[in-house]
Amino acid sequence: MATSFAAAFEIVSFGAIIVLVVLGLGIIASMMGIFNFAQGEFVLLGAYVTYLASAHGAPIWVGMIAAPFVVGALGFVLEALIIRRFYAAPIVAMLGTYALGLIIRESVRGLIGGFYLTVPEPIGGSIDLGSIHISAWRFTIIVITLLVMAACYLLLSRTSFGLRVRATLENPALARASGISTPLIYGATFAFGAALAGLAGALIVPVFSLFADLGIRFLIQGFVAVMVGGVGSFIGPVAGAAVIGTLSAALPWIMSPVVADVLVFVLAIAFIKFRPQGLIAGKGV
Amino acid sequence: MGGAREALAEVSEGPDVVTGETAPAAVPARWPVPGWNVLPIVEGLVLLIALVLPFVLQDYLTVFATRVVILALFALSFDLVWGYAGIMSFGQALFFGAAGYGVALLARDLNVTSIFLILPAGTLIGLTAALLLGGFLLLGRYPSSVIFVSLGTLTGSYAADRLARGWYYLGGQNGIPSIPPLSLGSIDISEGPVYYYMALGILVVVYLLCRFLVRSQFGLALAGLRENEQRIAFFGYKAQHLKAIVFAIGGTIAGLAGSLYAFHEGFVWPNMLGVVFSTQVVLYVLFGGSGTLIGAVIGTVIIEGVSFWLSDNYRDVWPIILGVLLLLVIMFRPLGLISFVLGERERVGTFGKAPKERR
Repeated sequence: MATSFAAAFEIVSFGAIIVLVVLGLGIIASMMGIFNFAQGEFVLLGAYVTYLASAHGAPIWVGMIAAPFVVGALGFVLEALIIRRFYAAPIVAMLGTYALGLIIRESVRGLIGGFYLTVPEPIGGSIDLGSIHISAWRFTIIVITLLVMAACYLLLSRTSFGLRVRATLENPALARASGISTPLIYGATFAFGAALAGLAGALIVPVFSLFADLGIRFLIQGFVAVMVGGVGSFIGPVAGAAVIGTLSAALPWIMSPVVADVLVFVLAIAFIKFRPQGLIAGKGV
Repeated sequence: MGGAREALAEVSEGPDVVTGETAPAAVPARWPVPGWNVLPIVEGLVLLIALVLPFVLQDYLTVFATRVVILALFALSFDLVWGYAGIMSFGQALFFGAAGYGVALLARDLNVTSIFLILPAGTLIGLTAALLLGGFLLLGRYPSSVIFVSLGTLTGSYAADRLARGWYYLGGQNGIPSIPPLSLGSIDISEGPVYYYMALGILVVVYLLCRFLVRSQFGLALAGLRENEQRIAFFGYKAQHLKAIVFAIGGTIAGLAGSLYAFHEGFVWPNMLGVVFSTQVVLYVLFGGSGTLIGAVIGTVIIEGVSFWLSDNYRDVWPIILGVLLLLVIMFRPLGLISFVLGERERVGTFGKAPKERR
């Protein structure tokens, strides 16, 4: 009983982390049609900002709050300078964002050296439920993930900004004709996606510690999750992330981790092949 | 700036991109002096330099040059797939590494080192892997999207990397060390000028075969596929089949390169299968110029050369510079460095004997 509960908690908490990372990726892919290869490096940057704050003696939560804003601002600038040129060409966008990611990753590697730097958890200790102990910080991540998901959903479905974003996604020409500044919307969407990645990085750095290849680990999993969930909606990538995250955390409990690792990818690619529209098809929220 | 943007649209292969409308506008501006062919001159120069290189270089540099030649062969395989057929294979290293691991296992477990067995075996492994993956990703009732194919190949390569890292039989993280040298009869072909000329010979033969292929009617269909897939499909070509064939050929060449590489380095390790090599080869080709065979070779030589030259003093900065350069090339020179000397008409090339039309 205790172990199965611990396993369930592990699975849910890893699923939450994947969802958190994929949220930004999914929003950028769905709303803008760009598969952002630099997303993993935005996660890395968020983690780095958090580390910087804690290294300079500020409380960790200050860094965690600052991270999404810093990364979001960077995303806005990058969109205006570079990403904007790639909209018509999805493959070129992949290559361009890959180059961007390479620059960011290697810069961070130069800054931190080849080390694994640890960042303490802002909420340490564990929550005790009878004989079961679960990490308080991982529990907090699950809660924050749920809150962020709800907030994103409300932002996209209930606010006028969300309406503009969806209008721009649905029909850019008509949106422009209706007086919506589509370049600004694209910039804001990209910045928002980047900020979510920054937040994800800030939250997960105490769990995974900071190293230059932190982002790559999540990038491919994130892409697969977005494809499985279905590009074009907000809820699709989230569902895909939940499935992929749960699978990759759950399968190692029942088979050898190496096989499980590869099996998740094989299953996902086979699924996408036979259902290209993903779990949840359609546009909108 | 306008030219760059139009060319950008041309590099992108999405069937929904308005390539057909923008491409003709980009053409006339870049035509070189008519009747003056740059391509054979560049190719001849590169071959000449490659031939005399071992006489000028020190021994350890010849070893390095051999590695570059093998990587150029690998780059050629990617260029064929992306530059000619417009399939973004982000996992080309899968075939390279699979062949490398395959021949390394042959050498380790069965003591096979004969060149007449190793190279065909590696080539066959590459072909089989590419047929399986390409057949799965590209064929089917509905055409696969470019995004799906590129992410599918990337995922395949990443999964293979993870598998090799975790599988004890394949040596885990360390890979398979100390592969015995390649042998021809009773002679060992160890690294040095002999290996260099052998690799160079294979590269030249494969290059000529590829050149023949892309200048044939098949190559014409490929060029059409790259420029506008939908139109080629309307002409009655089976675009999916064309793509799968090129993908398989690319995998075959990558397999050949992988087996050469494994025996040259003397060991194989998981990076050979994974994202590192896959993206490396993309860099070579984009930098040199995709859609021209010689561009892939030149890109490999320049990137590897500069990286070797800088690695003593600027090891940390080099990847950043590489990223910046790549970004600049993608944004402003989508056809790569070769496009500085090579005009649009020559890049696309002529097919058949007396072309009445220019394209």
